[in-house]
Amino acid sequence: MNSPKNLNARERARLAAEQAAARKRDRRILIAVVAAFVLVVVVAGIGFQAWRAYRSPSAIPSSSVSAIPVTISNGQPIVLGTSRAPTTITLYEDFHCPHCADFEEQFGPIITQAQESGAAHLELYPMSFIDEGSAAAANAMACATEAGFGPAFYRGLFANHTLQWSDQQLIELAAKIGGSPSEAFQTCVTNKAHADWVSSVNAAAEKNGIVQTPTMLINGKSVDIANLTPDALMAMITNATQR
Amino acid sequence: MSQSVATEPRRAEAARWVSTGARLVLGGVLVVAGALKAIDPQSSVAAVDAYELLPAPVATVVGWGLPFAEIALGSLLLAGIATRVVAAATAVLLVIFIIAVASAAARGLSIDCGCFGGGGQVPPGETAYGTELVRDAGLLLLAAWLVWKPQSRFALDRSPQ
Repeated sequence: MNSPKNLNARERARLAAEQAAARKRDRRILIAVVAAFVLVVVVAGIGFQAWRAYRSPSAIPSSSVSAIPVTISNGQPIVLGTSRAPTTITLYEDFHCPHCADFEEQFGPIITQAQESGAAHLELYPMSFIDEGSAAAANAMACATEAGFGPAFYRGLFANHTLQWSDQQLIELAAKIGGSPSEAFQTCVTNKAHADWVSSVNAAAEKNGIVQTPTMLINGKSVDIANLTPDALMAMITNATQR
Repeated sequence: MSQSVATEPRRAEAARWVSTGARLVLGGVLVVAGALKAIDPQSSVAAVDAYELLPAPVATVVGWGLPFAEIALGSLLLAGIATRVVAAATAVLLVIFIIAVASAAARGLSIDCGCFGGGGQVPPGETAYGTELVRDAGLLLLAAWLVWKPQSRFALDRSPQ
């Protein structure tokens, strides 16, 4: 018997099933839309970070720090400025360590000025524990020092510290600093000619008990960077020089 | 009988307010954590590397992309869009974080979780795995609550039925 009551019940069941199916479909569409949204944001983000890491380096203001070619020897720091300067500033830094870039932004000009005035020279240990870019930058820093534009290259590296430091970027940076880089410099960068020296600097830093970067010593005495102000640093260099 | 009729809507209303709080806290934490990492991609990659779980190229992609996944999920939670689905995805992400931190602790690495930027090696004895795991577990609880009770105030989600 197909009474209207029975028909109603069957009709209602059919409607309920249809609604359930619709809800299920809605849920599936919702999941797909959310997944697509997150994916688009993530892919765009990766693209943005890749662009930030691999774009061309920017130029830096030139300086008059004397830049004579310096030889690189294993386990020994790069010396910037005249070695006859009375005060020695020793720096342990990684070209990719964010705190080092902050340090450089705040105190770099003072250290550069001390080199220019002949008050101090810089002993640089470019460590490379953050990533491959750190090591590539440290190697290129050695190449630049040999080629005679170490101080400017040093500041260029920190001014562009968010870059990945591919070989091409390092060569481009050299070009922006001092005109077209020599064939020898380019080969030095691409062949990682100072790879052994880079490892030897890391080993030397470990031997000297360096646990964090940046670490700064003035005439061999460790400086508390966390509580340092530019004025205090200037006073320290002056005092060290007068003694 | 008349009592239960009165308490039911009140309970549902209270749950909606709890869900509102959970949504805003979880979403806010995700957006902040993602943004802090996104502004410093090098540290983010280094933080992923420090877990020693992924090969370098994969760690780079994760270090670049993960912060944006957090920002995307966090924004959806703050807006209250597809709350149940987004909360479930967030829960999965948090379980992965918990496994990663626990594995770092179990392997005796001394790293910072890099949850809110930073990360990487820390001196032995300065790890905070306990705090990090408790925090992640708390956030996981919020996510689970939202999967259970996605209805909340100030959300763009449609009201039920």
